[in-house]
Amino acid sequence: MLDTASAPVLELSNIRKAFGGIVAIEDFSLDVRAGEVVALVGDNGAGKSTLIKIISGVYAPTSGAIRIDGQEVSMPNATKAREHGIEVVYQDLALVDQQPVYMNLFLGRELTKGPFRVLDRRQMIAETERLVTELDVRIPSAHATISDLSGGQRQGIAIARATHWARKLVLLDEPTAALGVAETAKVEKTVAALKSRDIGVLIISHSLDQVFRLSDRICVLRRGKQIGVRETAKTDKNEIVSMITGV
Amino acid sequence: MKTTTMLAALLASTLIASPAWAQTIGPNGETATPSSEVVLTDADIAALQGKGYKAALLWHTSSDFINAVAAGANDEFARAGVDVVVTTDAGFDAAKQRSDIETALAASPNVILSLPLDPVTSAEAFRGAIDAGAELVFLSNLPAGYVHGTDYAAIVTDDLFQMGKQAADVLAASIGGEGTVGWIFHDADYYVTNQRDNAFKATIEADYPGIEIVAEQGISDPARAEELANAMLLQNPDLDGIYVTWAEPADGVLAALRSAGNTTTKIVTLDLSEPVALDMVKGGNVVGLVADEAYELGRAMAAAGLKGLLGEEVPAFVVAPALTVTADNVAEGWQQSLHRDAPASVLSAK
Amino acid sequence: MSASSPAAPASPVRALLARINLQQYVVYVGFLAIFLFFAVVLRDSGFLTQRNLVNIVLQTAPATIMAIGLVFVLSAGDIDLSFGSTVAVSALCAAMAMAAMPAAAFPVGILAGLGAGLLVGAINGVLIAWLRLPSFLVTLATMGLVAGIGRSLTQLRSIPVTDPLFTGIFGSGSLFGVPSLVIWTVVAVAIGHVIYRQTRFGAHVLATGDNARAAQVTGIKVSRIRLWVFMISGGLAGLAGLLYAGRLQAAKYTLGETDLMTVIAAVIVGGTLLNGGKGSVIGALVGSLLMGMLNNGLILMGLSVSDQMIVRGLIILVAVAVSLREKTR
Repeated sequence: MLDTASAPVLELSNIRKAFGGIVAIEDFSLDVRAGEVVALVGDNGAGKSTLIKIISGVYAPTSGAIRIDGQEVSMPNATKAREHGIEVVYQDLALVDQQPVYMNLFLGRELTKGPFRVLDRRQMIAETERLVTELDVRIPSAHATISDLSGGQRQGIAIARATHWARKLVLLDEPTAALGVAETAKVEKTVAALKSRDIGVLIISHSLDQVFRLSDRICVLRRGKQIGVRETAKTDKNEIVSMITGV
Repeated sequence: MKTTTMLAALLASTLIASPAWAQTIGPNGETATPSSEVVLTDADIAALQGKGYKAALLWHTSSDFINAVAAGANDEFARAGVDVVVTTDAGFDAAKQRSDIETALAASPNVILSLPLDPVTSAEAFRGAIDAGAELVFLSNLPAGYVHGTDYAAIVTDDLFQMGKQAADVLAASIGGEGTVGWIFHDADYYVTNQRDNAFKATIEADYPGIEIVAEQGISDPARAEELANAMLLQNPDLDGIYVTWAEPADGVLAALRSAGNTTTKIVTLDLSEPVALDMVKGGNVVGLVADEAYELGRAMAAAGLKGLLGEEVPAFVVAPALTVTADNVAEGWQQSLHRDAPASVLSAK
Repeated sequence: MSASSPAAPASPVRALLARINLQQYVVYVGFLAIFLFFAVVLRDSGFLTQRNLVNIVLQTAPATIMAIGLVFVLSAGDIDLSFGSTVAVSALCAAMAMAAMPAAAFPVGILAGLGAGLLVGAINGVLIAWLRLPSFLVTLATMGLVAGIGRSLTQLRSIPVTDPLFTGIFGSGSLFGVPSLVIWTVVAVAIGHVIYRQTRFGAHVLATGDNARAAQVTGIKVSRIRLWVFMISGGLAGLAGLLYAGRLQAAKYTLGETDLMTVIAAVIVGGTLLNGGKGSVIGALVGSLLMGMLNNGLILMGLSVSDQMIVRGLIILVAVAVSLREKTR
């Protein structure tokens, strides 16, 4: 392993999820360490989205355990998952289009001040500007309205938000699916910046090139089964493709 | 209500044939003065000309009837050299009427003609106008607690009783004084329609022993007239006649009769309306329309207000005559009531 | 990392333009233009008298209060069609309660009026937020239901309101020379504006209307927000009912019913989007005043009733067209 000193921030043991008689995930185990990027790959319908929803608290697993920092947790809803320090960047980004960037970064967790708990816009703007600078998300200003931004900028904001609030883990669901080449490169830079913040990253992507550029390890799913986990440095595309397709 | 008074008056009228307007009484029991007695003299006109007097017409709604009243008032004001500076429509909303009054007062009118929407809400609403010194002439309704002379110049209204009575007379004549009739009345606490409806009923019961009212149906929403008429006809398929409280629901009753293929049940209703008149002149179910002289009403309102402005004595309660319109006098009737030609469709169908 | 600060705008002017949303200023420009027009055309007809200008504010006070509620409902992505009939029922409940208990008229009047409004709001809110029924249909139904209850409460009769304290505070009274209806308008707009713009609740309302799923996944209790906005709308309709009852010194089943379209127009012209996520309480106030000023000015111009309606309709059309054009810019 890369860094044996740190305990995994996320540890999934023998996760199984069935919807009625249909088994979506069977016996899945994986751990993600602080500062590590793990990619989850597999064909459509392999069970990636189901896994993301289990980790983010949307679905409860039928059996198996989820541990955060070694502590077993139950996550009945998304709020609980966030309380455990897990943030998700959804494919649809979950941004409110007509609000400025800073309100989106603090959506649902707005800062207030004073006895009447009025919004502390100044503080939110300041933190937003610091964060987008740090993650190199190029936007016109913290006041810019989301609907005026490009796809890459929006993706950057969504990742920045997850980064800001995540203490343990960020889940990225197809972060560059809708982006052009230049914007993809920009987002990949942002993801790489997360490593330096000692946060675990679990990324779902269809692009193997991207997976090889970003990840430390690759976990392959096929039809709900865990086919295997490889260290990115010690494998190649051919092996991963054959694991995905089963041929 | 005042059924006994009305019955007594009715009996008196049939016995000694006193003038028709005698039976309609004001909201507080005032006796009626015919509108023909409220006339601006040449001296009045001379006294009003060139004074820069202004008038406001604050109506409760927009309708054919109100247009005719306003035309009568506008012409009379013009004759006296008085400018009509404001015209409003409250859309039956008491709060809007109050706002309209306040807005009109900014233009400082000397005379205000209006139909107060209801006695309770309008009592406070018109206070500002009284304080501003405007002469108030009300159409049909009186705000609660208002005193003639100090608070307002006059109430002017239709000869309500005569309208109901003449409707009874024309319907009775069309069915030969014998048979069964239905009575569709306005189901609301509104003394204008209440008096007209009750006058019809009282006249049938007192004057026409051969006619029986076998079906009574209240209506509050004219749009439901057709279904109510259908139900009435289902229970009483052999009705000889139906009285409908005013022309708009009469359209619905006509529709019900037509869809039932009924050409024998006679209809009488109040107010002039093109579709109902068209049926009448084509020899359909409608045998008569009883109208008020709306134009004359407006003229009398303006005249009463201006007389008040000149400090002359104005009778508290003024009525404009009723008018029975049948297929024979439809052209004249339209002129007399609304001061304009009957619709072309009605004239050409004749 | 690049040398230029990412947060720094490409051009300061463009950033400023991005911050100033022209759409929200349409109503102010329109208000000013129409005011100047009337001031010139009607200079001899009493339009500019202090009394007339105060009257406009007094006349629009109930509509402005309703408009604040509608800003919250629309911003949350819902619609309320029932507030107009709620006004009448609230006014009637207040008047009946005061008639029943003349000794404690003032408090029972307020309680009954606001209580009726909040109850309608709660019913709307529960049906919409918890049973997930579409707000258009729910409030269309409650609009008719409440209007029917209003009619049956008193068999269409008007109820007089005679308590001097009540008619003073909600109607014709004044404090230091300022009419009470002006005070109510200012206080309601100020509180509404602060809640809308300066609290987490206001931010959550906007997020709910903009992207309910995003709001949900970021931990905003969307159902609770939707319930609250209908409670606010109902409560403010109740307050508007009290103001009408105080101003007319009577309650009637028709109160507020004709305000529905005026209030919707005022709120939309004031920069609130019909499909949620964006709005302005101050804009709604100016929109409401604009509507009142239009009514007032067109009447004083001596136009016939039908011409008043045509001109008013055209002006609203222009205002809406301009504000929506700005939005899609």
